[in-house]
Amino acid sequence: MKMDKATKSQIARNAALSLFLYILPIALMFISFLITGQRPWEKKIHHKENAKSSTNKNSQNNGSND
Amino acid sequence: MEATIEFFKKIIENLNGFGFPFLVFFIGVLEFSFGLYKGKWPKNERWVDISCFVLPRLVVQPAVAYFSLKFLPFIFPDVKNVFDWVPFFWGFAIIAVADDLTQYWYHRLHHQIPWLWRFHRTHHSASYMGMAMASRQNVIYTIFFSQIYLTAALVYLGLGIPAIAVRIIKSTITTLAHSSIPWDKPLYQYKVLHPLAWVLERLISTPATHHAHHAATTDDGVGHYKGNFGNMFFLWDIIFGTGLISRQYPKAYGISHYDGDQWTAQLLWPIFKSKVEGSELAANGPVVRVDNDYEALARREQKKQAEVIAPEPEPVPSFSHS
Repeated sequence: MKMDKATKSQIARNAALSLFLYILPIALMFISFLITGQRPWEKKIHHKENAKSSTNKNSQNNGSND
Repeated sequence: MEATIEFFKKIIENLNGFGFPFLVFFIGVLEFSFGLYKGKWPKNERWVDISCFVLPRLVVQPAVAYFSLKFLPFIFPDVKNVFDWVPFFWGFAIIAVADDLTQYWYHRLHHQIPWLWRFHRTHHSASYMGMAMASRQNVIYTIFFSQIYLTAALVYLGLGIPAIAVRIIKSTITTLAHSSIPWDKPLYQYKVLHPLAWVLERLISTPATHHAHHAATTDDGVGHYKGNFGNMFFLWDIIFGTGLISRQYPKAYGISHYDGDQWTAQLLWPIFKSKVEGSELAANGPVVRVDNDYEALARREQKKQAEVIAPEPEPVPSFSHS
């Protein structure tokens, strides 16, 4: 039993539209960042840097917080 | 502030662990107490429903979660928590679309690609709606089901909380859409609620739209198993033109030619085959069997009965001039 042509072409058309739908919330998120000036990924980088500096090899406890 | 966030995180985690089975159990008890399964739940169907509910929760989901937690750090060690900066709202929106749209396609293709149908047939063979049949699926369908893998991957990428929040809302909507308790009925009965009904029935799956998908008939204005594929969001069916909104509930559910395939075949086809001759799950069965046309059968039956009551007169010999 084979799929009919109309169903095949409907699947192809809808799949193309789906790609747009998948991207839509991601695009909207970055547009909102652009409008509000938020850069949450930078906060994460700062956090990492801070975490590194507090546990460097020069500290007396040799990187351990215990 | 951090304590509040932790508190909500714990609520979400607990709801994810115990919430879904509790919801199913609670609604199931209500359905039984209303007598909604009376005479519709024979032994074979009980075995299909219970085994399909238990096996994924005891074996498939824990196994996927365990191997994902081992496999992902091994293959992608640098991407752990790489997206934990994404705000909850946007994480929720991205996952809700990614998860539910993928499931829409998974579901739709099992109806539209003939060779995939037999992996999804078990879910449609029940002649009743309710908690008992909500988790009824062939094990292969469950193993390749996107949501388990997506949730595991998102937790690893740092989007665990929005992923679990989506899962809780989605489980609630899909569970209530399968329920035999028509919670949406008042929305259609009271005129003041019609605007809310209009929005809800286009946005999410309701008992009316999802019951139509499980109808034994299609193209009769109520039943629509050729569409209404949406799980959490019905919006996909509206966008892609596969939806039917009738605000009515079908008279009969299931598959018109279903003849009680053994529970082992329904759970584990193609490992176990059905012994029911002509079944789609039988060793020599068709990939897709044509539906019984109930109306044509009823018309034929009526005609037969009419012939028995008033037998046709003996044909009078006629002479032709040709």
